[in-house]
Amino acid sequence: MIKGISELVAILAISLGAAGTTYWLKGPPVRLFVCDPASLKPDEICLQQLSPATKVLWVDARHRKEWEESGVPDSALWNLDASENMQTFEADIAARILESPRVIVYCGDENCGLSRQVAERIRALQLGAEVSVLRGGWRALNEAGRTRSGGAMIKDSNPKS
Amino acid sequence: MKFAIGMWLVLAGLVQAAGLEFAELINEVNAASDATSVTADFNFTNKGDKPVTIAKADPTCSCIKVQISEGKLTYAPGESGVIRTSFEVGNFSGSVDKVVALYIDNDKPDHPSMQITVRVHIPVIVGMEPKTLKWELGGKAEPKTVQIRMAEGKPIHVVDVKSSSEAFSCELKTLEEGKKYDLVVTPKIMDVPSISVIRIQTDCEIVRYRVQQAFAVIPRPTPSATPSKP
Repeated sequence: MIKGISELVAILAISLGAAGTTYWLKGPPVRLFVCDPASLKPDEICLQQLSPATKVLWVDARHRKEWEESGVPDSALWNLDASENMQTFEADIAARILESPRVIVYCGDENCGLSRQVAERIRALQLGAEVSVLRGGWRALNEAGRTRSGGAMIKDSNPKS
Repeated sequence: MKFAIGMWLVLAGLVQAAGLEFAELINEVNAASDATSVTADFNFTNKGDKPVTIAKADPTCSCIKVQISEGKLTYAPGESGVIRTSFEVGNFSGSVDKVVALYIDNDKPDHPSMQITVRVHIPVIVGMEPKTLKWELGGKAEPKTVQIRMAEGKPIHVVDVKSSSEAFSCELKTLEEGKKYDLVVTPKIMDVPSISVIRIQTDCEIVRYRVQQAFAVIPRPTPSATPSKP
């Protein structure tokens, strides 16, 4: 009995040592964002559900600085910062929605309510666009290499707006 | 056994969430027309029999700042506190609901056990209705109207109207000087999708209401509305 416990403790110690060494050498494990279409809310979409041929107008709901540094190329900015001009956002979206009537809003957090608020505002304009919220937000896009930082920040970044 | 553990966890969660009791969960505030920010206080008391810690208050919008009783986060049974929310009015108008999610004790990420709502009523000084005028592609080029109505008080005049697209013509009709205007918009071409941003300039003393905009749109037909080829 005692021998069995000793062996178990030895195995556990070796395993923990190996795991610790791996962590020390390689860093923490990369946990990629997984989007389950079955768990989506009615206005949400998973990145993998989009056909590559679909022309999308990406709308970044994060702060301006984050959008400039790591937004999706050619995306539009629309956040609710008091320092921003909503009319400029509206006009910018209106100018582009005709060519890209598929609009998807993302923000910095995986469950960011901000993108839903922005999506509601875009829908309220009634410009004939289909507006969705991206499940997984910026993280999903970044892991797919669709942002300006192109997946480089997977390990150490998960900005929140 | 599983049932018993499950029930215990559910009950434990309810007791924990019920610890903090708020005087009101929705606080309505009327903003002055020239206000740049408004504050709303939420008074609460720990009615439970254990100390409660507010681990996080997530405003879900950068337009809201939250302060909890000058930094005090843990409340003994019977102890009271105040959550002060400050809403930056920015370009918002009309009625706006902003939610603050409260994570109590060991709430899981994205599963706050409570939420409070600030409902701000911001006066509409220069109202434009509807905000968007729509025509069907290939339909009749009928004129449509945006009603421009000024709030009670000092007259506000429309001094300029500009359309971003030549595909629409705009005519401003004065119904009551400084009070009521109609903006009549007529598309010139109906067989091409188009959008125009129509901006009106007013002499409103409050800068943020000075320029307002509406939209005229002939949208592309949605894929489901397009007849499929045989």
